[in-house]
Amino acid sequence: MTRLAHLWDQSRCIACGACIAACNAANYGSTGRVNKTWGWLASNIKRVELVRGPRPMLFLVQCQHCDNAPCVAVCPTGASYRDVDGLVKIKPELCIGCKYCMVACPYEARWLDEESGLPRKCMGEECLSRVKAGLEPVCVAVCPAGARAFGDLDDPNSAISRRLAQSRYIRLLEGKGTEPKYFVVVGP
Amino acid sequence: MTAFQEIWSPYLIGPFLWLAGIAGMGSVAYVMLARQRVEGYQRLAYALLPAIVLALVFVVADLSRPWNMPGAILSSILGGTFGWVRSWMAVGIALISLGTVLLLFLTLRYIAASSVLVRIVDSTWYGVLLVVVGVLITIYSGFLIAAAPGIPFWNTALIPVLWLLSASVCALALVELLLHHGDVTRQVVRMGVALESAELIAVMALINLALYGGSTAARLSAQALAYGSLAAAFWGGLVGLGVVIPLAIGIVSMKRQSRALTAAAAVLALIGALLLRILVLQAGVFEPIP
Repeated sequence: MTRLAHLWDQSRCIACGACIAACNAANYGSTGRVNKTWGWLASNIKRVELVRGPRPMLFLVQCQHCDNAPCVAVCPTGASYRDVDGLVKIKPELCIGCKYCMVACPYEARWLDEESGLPRKCMGEECLSRVKAGLEPVCVAVCPAGARAFGDLDDPNSAISRRLAQSRYIRLLEGKGTEPKYFVVVGP
Repeated sequence: MTAFQEIWSPYLIGPFLWLAGIAGMGSVAYVMLARQRVEGYQRLAYALLPAIVLALVFVVADLSRPWNMPGAILSSILGGTFGWVRSWMAVGIALISLGTVLLLFLTLRYIAASSVLVRIVDSTWYGVLLVVVGVLITIYSGFLIAAAPGIPFWNTALIPVLWLLSASVCALALVELLLHHGDVTRQVVRMGVALESAELIAVMALINLALYGGSTAARLSAQALAYGSLAAAFWGGLVGLGVVIPLAIGIVSMKRQSRALTAAAAVLALIGALLLRILVLQAGVFEPIP
């Protein structure tokens, strides 16, 4: 079985925003259109700054490709589905724009593309075709600090499995029971 | 504070949930009155179809791809991906479609009055079906938001119960407004006092559980309603005008009836139920990360 997943290494990230810009360029043609849902640019990666606590922290949040994805469970037509590769994807032809997936996602990982009416999320079309061709998603490919990894959790030799084996990591909002597959590395 | 969720418009989905509840519990009230042959019960039938049709108009107005709806629903039913038992939205689409057809026949029964329609609509099984579908539509309108795990304030079993209570209050208000006479009003006022008391307790329970529960987002939502940016609308509009005043009028009316007062209480109760749904939707926030 294949279970594709993302890793973001918080301890290596230099907050340059290259992943965010690359997502915007590859998946949305570098559009300047505003993502009104997040008050952000058209990109599937959201920057969350944590100002509470002893020191400021940065989180990059995106679709967690949950094994137990609420967005898939609530979708009335099956437009949101979990594919055999473990990624959560959208079939635009089945989407009625009810936005139930958007309110069901605890990570607020989807945003509304006002042009098409579609809820957008990681991964965009370009990244999906790259993955299909055996390449890395653009956010992983462009990261100058090597803070990102992508691959099959069920393959012990994949880049992500090797990184996870030697790192301390957390998963966001684990208590929600969504079984997220977005791993945040917090240290060696 | 985390921004309120701006995904579902409270001013479109709120009225949708309210009208679905009115149509749902109104159907139950219609069947009960029809069985007792209460004078003028037919008037209720004319109010229910517009309620469910308007509910549909509001919910479709909030869709971002309405043009894709017929094809997508048909394709998903034929393709076996429609969420009959998985998604409350899918359950609602099925229930509201069925409810609309049932209420259409009910209205036609009084407009066209063909003997076939009269036999079907006046039959016991049709009444039972109307009651079951009406209750299910009301409960569904609660589960629709309660089953959205992204917004912890909504994600509670209290919401469907509160929606059922509040929609029952709306159905009674509709009866008060449309059929004001003697015995019925006395019964309706007594039931109204009981249901409004229960609604008030349920609203307070919703706020209290969220204020003292474990979820940060639910606490932020409850704070916004109890003493934050939505407090004036919550205490003044929903609790004061929408529940406490109709309740007080109901208690007074149990001793001495006044048509103007009971009508005012009914209108306020209807407004209160609408405000309840709009405010609960508006107060929703996502859990902060991490």
